[in-house]
Amino acid sequence: MISELNHYLGSIRDNMRLDSSSEKEMVDELETHVEDRFQEMREAGLSDDEAAEECIGLLGSARLVARQVYEAHSQGTWRQALLASMPHLFFALLFTLKWWWGMSWLPIMLGFICGIVFYGWFRGKPAWLFPWLGYSLLPVVVAGLFLLFLPKGWAWATILLYIPLVLWLLCYIVIKGIKRDWLYSALMLLPVPSIAGWFLAVEEGSGFSGFSIEHLYDFAPWIGLSFLVLAVAVATFIRLRQRWLKVMVLGTSGLITLGMVIFASSRLGLFAFIGLVLLMISFLLVPALLERRLKHGGQQAVA
Amino acid sequence: MVRRRDLIKGSIDSLLLSLIGQQPMYGYQIIKEIEGRSQGYFQFKEGTLYPALHRLEGAGLVVGRWQVLSGGRRRRYYYITEKGHSILIEKTAQWQDFFAAMNMIIRPANA
Repeated sequence: MISELNHYLGSIRDNMRLDSSSEKEMVDELETHVEDRFQEMREAGLSDDEAAEECIGLLGSARLVARQVYEAHSQGTWRQALLASMPHLFFALLFTLKWWWGMSWLPIMLGFICGIVFYGWFRGKPAWLFPWLGYSLLPVVVAGLFLLFLPKGWAWATILLYIPLVLWLLCYIVIKGIKRDWLYSALMLLPVPSIAGWFLAVEEGSGFSGFSIEHLYDFAPWIGLSFLVLAVAVATFIRLRQRWLKVMVLGTSGLITLGMVIFASSRLGLFAFIGLVLLMISFLLVPALLERRLKHGGQQAVA
Repeated sequence: MVRRRDLIKGSIDSLLLSLIGQQPMYGYQIIKEIEGRSQGYFQFKEGTLYPALHRLEGAGLVVGRWQVLSGGRRRRYYYITEKGHSILIEKTAQWQDFFAAMNMIIRPANA
């Protein structure tokens, strides 16, 4: 097939953001259509270039076709929506039912989360996997927090080694998600700003030593409610077709949960809210910019 | 004023179900059938046919199956499902009622 048509099909493939098997099926189907139409044009007496141009004109804008293909595939079932919102629901229950009071839930929940992540990761990375993937990084965060309890000197030395390792792991997972769709990486990072906000609210300005179970107890209903908001947002995200609506849902849920952090905390004010909102926006925008950069780099490499 | 493109957009599911309900078809064949049978009235961007077919497939109204032809070429044929057939009957009845009502107003003598 001539290069113009290849470029056209490549442009559709790059913008439709499907999993690899659906993407291949869709491109194969469009390719057979293009071949049929191209052949017909050639038989009608058009040159290769004229036939290719006519084919592209009849098929319509690559972006429009890719967007419509995305919308045809982007709506998950109610079952998938429930599955995607489950990790947030677990955490909502954890705080509202005070399960966090004992520590026995932690290994059970982490084992369950890791099991689900392995299952989804090796089954084509479906959309419902990404919220679970975010929570699977929890042991990494908890391990980092425990490092703060090491003797003075050791703590900082270990953290200096630990932070680059964590950032590498985070980048690796985010980039893997971005290769499918940057929105999934944003979905994975969704709870991070509100968790950071609750951490700031609970530690009450006295450093890590000020973090106590009693403080957490005061905030537990609000924390539970914020995870419930995230669960509803994720379920809505999975059920929606249009990308712009999905972005709106992620942004709105982030604003609501951060608003709850500020409302519940007597200490955090406008500046903390602005800082957390900027963190949230960066978690939405960085995956989008990274995806753009990765695709641009890929196209240059092909050229 | 309602544009022809909007009319087609509103009736694309019925058109596709109706054609696939008559015999299994592949995308290019569907385009040719629609153009031919409507004498060029129904014309739309061909690339937008496939998202519509995949949407119907996602809703369980049609099912696509690859077939290998002589010469090794592959085509994806769409078959109507039981659910699709029920929806087609329902939509056909709706269209017939709509046309009958329109005729009673536009051409009262023929009604």
